[in-house]
This record gives sequence, structure tokens and C-alpha cells, in this order.
Amino acid sequence: MKWLEQQRADDTERWLGEVLEAARQRTGDEVARRRVWSRLEGLPSGKDLPARRARSLALPALVGALVAVSVVAVLWVVPATRPTPSSVAAKRVAPAVASASQPGSVVPQVAPQVSSATPVRTGRKPARVALAGGAGVELDANSVLSWDAERRPSVERGQARFEVPHQAPGERFAVSAGPYLISVVGTKFHVGVGDDRVSVEVEEGVVEVWRGARSVRLVEGDSWAGPIRGIASPTLGRRPSLAGASLRRASSEDGPARVANGPGSVELTEARTALGEGRPEDALAMLTHCTKGVGPAAENAAYEVGRVLRDGLHRPQAAVAAWVAYRTRFPRGLLRAEADLSILETLARVGDKAAALAEAEAFLARYPNSERRDEVAKLAARVRGAP
Amino acid sequence: MSQQNPAGSQQPGPLAEDKALVERFRNGDTLASRALYERYAQPVFRFLSALGVPPEEREDAAQDVFIAVYRGLKQFRGDAQLSTWIYRIAARHASHLGRRRRMRSFLSLLPWHEAEPEPQDDPAEKASDLRLLDRLLDKLSPKKRMVLVLFEIEGLGVNEIAIVMGCPPNTVWSRLRHARAELVKAARRITT
Repeated sequence: MKWLEQQRADDTERWLGEVLEAARQRTGDEVARRRVWSRLEGLPSGKDLPARRARSLALPALVGALVAVSVVAVLWVVPATRPTPSSVAAKRVAPAVASASQPGSVVPQVAPQVSSATPVRTGRKPARVALAGGAGVELDANSVLSWDAERRPSVERGQARFEVPHQAPGERFAVSAGPYLISVVGTKFHVGVGDDRVSVEVEEGVVEVWRGARSVRLVEGDSWAGPIRGIASPTLGRRPSLAGASLRRASSEDGPARVANGPGSVELTEARTALGEGRPEDALAMLTHCTKGVGPAAENAAYEVGRVLRDGLHRPQAAVAAWVAYRTRFPRGLLRAEADLSILETLARVGDKAAALAEAEAFLARYPNSERRDEVAKLAARVRGAP
Repeated sequence: MSQQNPAGSQQPGPLAEDKALVERFRNGDTLASRALYERYAQPVFRFLSALGVPPEEREDAAQDVFIAVYRGLKQFRGDAQLSTWIYRIAARHASHLGRRRRMRSFLSLLPWHEAEPEPQDDPAEKASDLRLLDRLLDKLSPKKRMVLVLFEIEGLGVNEIAIVMGCPPNTVWSRLRHARAELVKAARRITT
């Protein structure tokens, strides 16, 4: 039987060699790569990117020690049952006002964990409030922090500096301020609410400010301000204009209103799986359904419908129609440039010379500083030269 | 990304091209950041995938890697190859994410903690063999996995891997030998 074992061993090693070779040839998800680039493109140019600040190890060490002590205490004291909502509610406290107004307290006070409590009002002293999920907020003097109907922290008045740790995949941390919703993955930013304006200043990371169905994306160093008056509160599905908002360096973009990834993102993943498994019809059905929702998943799905039609079902004209529909719905969407390029490439591929050239000209006019100008210009030249 | 990929699956530019790219970037050429991304995005995504960064975290991770690269290029001294340096940044990010995933899965064992959702297969991945390879790689320790991936998939040399991982070349050899043996053993268990 030794020869049989040897044969099996040889087969395994041969299989491993083949599969490692296949792993070297992995190309991955091109749309994912393009999506990341469209996010990076929005950042300041490399030359202007500030160097990362050196991190002090003292604070993480202190936090780690506190967490360890807390975990031990919790495991020791709390019975091994999930806490009920009532017990959580009973533990909710809002003593930040009291502690902040204690005489002699110069450093902002740390309030116990608050997730949805009565408003925190600071007097003459600032206060620090710990929020759910490891986030924290430093409230300046004469500021008010409350919680909205969806239990999101809401800056009612004054100045607040938020520190949000990186959120779990698919999760977003949101703060409301007047009619705006500020959505982040993990960052540090300031929110100011005056009598007639809301302002946001980003210290680290990327922040999106939403009002209804419109948003602006702010990156490190950006500041933004928008009016409060005459605008609806940040509810889903509305599309008021961002007129009156002033924005430095960041660009505004239309986008979906939902902040956290909804069920649509699951459907989008399933659609990608179906496409990966060679079931483009199923993928198309799922994506089409997904486009009927809102949020990033709907936007991604609206773009990917075109890819499935072109690459999976070999229906280039239908793919072009799908991308045109995408840019009609998301005229300043995150994948707008990709949609424009996809239309251009597809038209060139099917030999629709006039339409391809018109698209190329429109692209060059729309994105005069795009790094893909050369690529588009070359493509246009090729189309012009084609018989 | 590597100059030594035995598979020839990548078409890395010569070192001079990397050097020129870095120079262009430092001089504020806005096209350089795009060129750098075009050149290294695919290897970075593949590397993160092979290190077990799940699809739902991969885009954020790749974005963080490139932000770190763009930030750090000003200080890049050129002691190592650009590709090696980018792998080092990506490896650090992947390790950090791996630690966080392990912490989350540990916390999910606590009685009141919600269970972690099952990791999803990469939707961009068609071949079941590759999924099987990912599962085999999951069985290796993070350090052994990284050495194996850098050597066998990314095609780096032992000295480059030593720079990426910050350990002596002999340690790389040792980890590679053990990783290979464990991978073959695990594969035999599955295939026989």
C-alpha cells in the first residue's frame, strides 16, 4: 500500500502546485478596485497629504488596562445573562451636566456610557460624554447634546468634537445636527450648531454630511457649513437642495439617504456570488431588485447591472442603457466617472463611433482635470482612426 | 508587484520605473498617484485576500494601505524596493485587521454577545479550488501564512520577505518550511 500513499501524496502536491498557480493569477474584483480609486481620488493629492502624527502609546495602554479591569469586574459581578433593555435603561445616566459644572474641574469630565438619555447640557465648563460603540464627544461650554428618534447623538447647540473608532464592516456612526446627518466610518471631527448654521470640520478620516438624499463628502482638513432655516429634518427619501451650503475643497455628490448598509447590501453580495458562479440571469434579477432600494447598495447595484448585461449576458446596448439610467439617477454618484467610462468603452467596442466620440468629448469636458484624460483621449483617437 | 514572481503573473516595471514614479509623486505630479494605484492595486487586493481579509473589509483595507503609501512616500528612502515597502504596509494592515477579527470572534463567545456572522465567500472568486486553498491557509498561524503567501503567491524572495516581516532571513526559511509542511498535511487530510 506504500505506493498508493506515495501516489496520493504526489497528487496532493500537484494539486497544491496548481491551485497556488491559480492564486497567483487571481485578478480579483475590478469594480472594487475602481471603487477604492474613486474614494482615493477625492482625497488631497499625495503631495498635500499631511504626514501621520506619531501616536502616543500611553493612552492606548491606559485604555487597555481599564478595559481589562472592567472585563474582569463585569465577568465577576454580572450574571452570565444578556442584559435586558430595562436593565440597560435603568443604568442610563446623564450626570454630565452635574459633573461638568463641578467647581474647579478644568479638564472635561468623563460621563458614564450614555446611549440614549436625556439631553446633556454644558454650563460654563466643557464636558466629555462617552457614547455607545467606543465613541466619545467633547462638548464645549454652553452646548447641548441630545438623542434623536433613532437614538443617534444630536448636537442641538454649541460645539462638539467627536472621536469615533473605526466601525465594524457595514456599520456607520451617525450624528445629527439640525437638518443634517453626519455619517462616518471612523474619524475625528467637530460639529458646530449656531442659530442659523451647522458647521463640520474634519480632523481625521472621511465624513459624509447628509441632508435628505443629498450628501457632501469631507476629507481630512475640510470644513463645511450649511444653513439650518427652512429645511426639513434629515429624513430618508427627501431630496432638498444643498443650496446655501459652503464647502471648502470637498465636492458635493448626490447619493442615497440611508446611512447604514441595509438589506440591499446582502442582496448585492448574493448577486455578486451568483455572477461569480456563472448565473448572470440570477445576478441580474437580484441587482435589478436591489436598485429599487436606497443606499450605497442600490447605487452599486445600478452600476453593476450594466456590467452583468455587458460581460455576463453579452448585451452591450442594454448595458449602455443601464449605465445611462445609473447616471440619470445618480448624476454625481460615486461611480459616475466609472459609468461614463464604461459607456464610452462599450460604445467603442460595438463600433458606435459617433456616440463613442460624443461620450469621449463629454467626458473630457466634464472632467478637465481627470487623471484618465489621456486614456479617454487615446480611446477617442482610436475610435476616430477606426474604419 | 514583485520582481521575482516565478509565475510571471505580474508585469512589474523595472526598478527604475518605480524610482521615477516616486520622484514624480514627490514633485506633485497628480498623474503619479493614479499610476501608482494602477500598478499596485491588483497585487495589494490579491495579497489582502490571500491573508484572509474578508471581501467586506477588503476595500476599506486597500484604501487604508494606499493612504498610508501616499502619506509615507515623502519619507520613502528607497532602502528597499517600492513593492517590498508597499507589501510591508499591506502586511501591517492585514495583521491589524486579523487581530481585530480574532478579538471579535473571541468576544462573540461571551454569553451576551451577538454571534459573528459567518464569513462570506469572495463573490469575485469562481474556482472552488481557490476557496479550498483559502480554507487551508486559514489553518496556518498568521506569521506562517504571511511567509507562505509572500513566497508562493506573491513571489517575493526570502530577503524581501525578511524586510516585510521584520525578521531575519533564517526565520523566514524556517517559517516557510513549516508552513509548507502544514499546508501539504492539511491538503492531504482534505483530498484523501
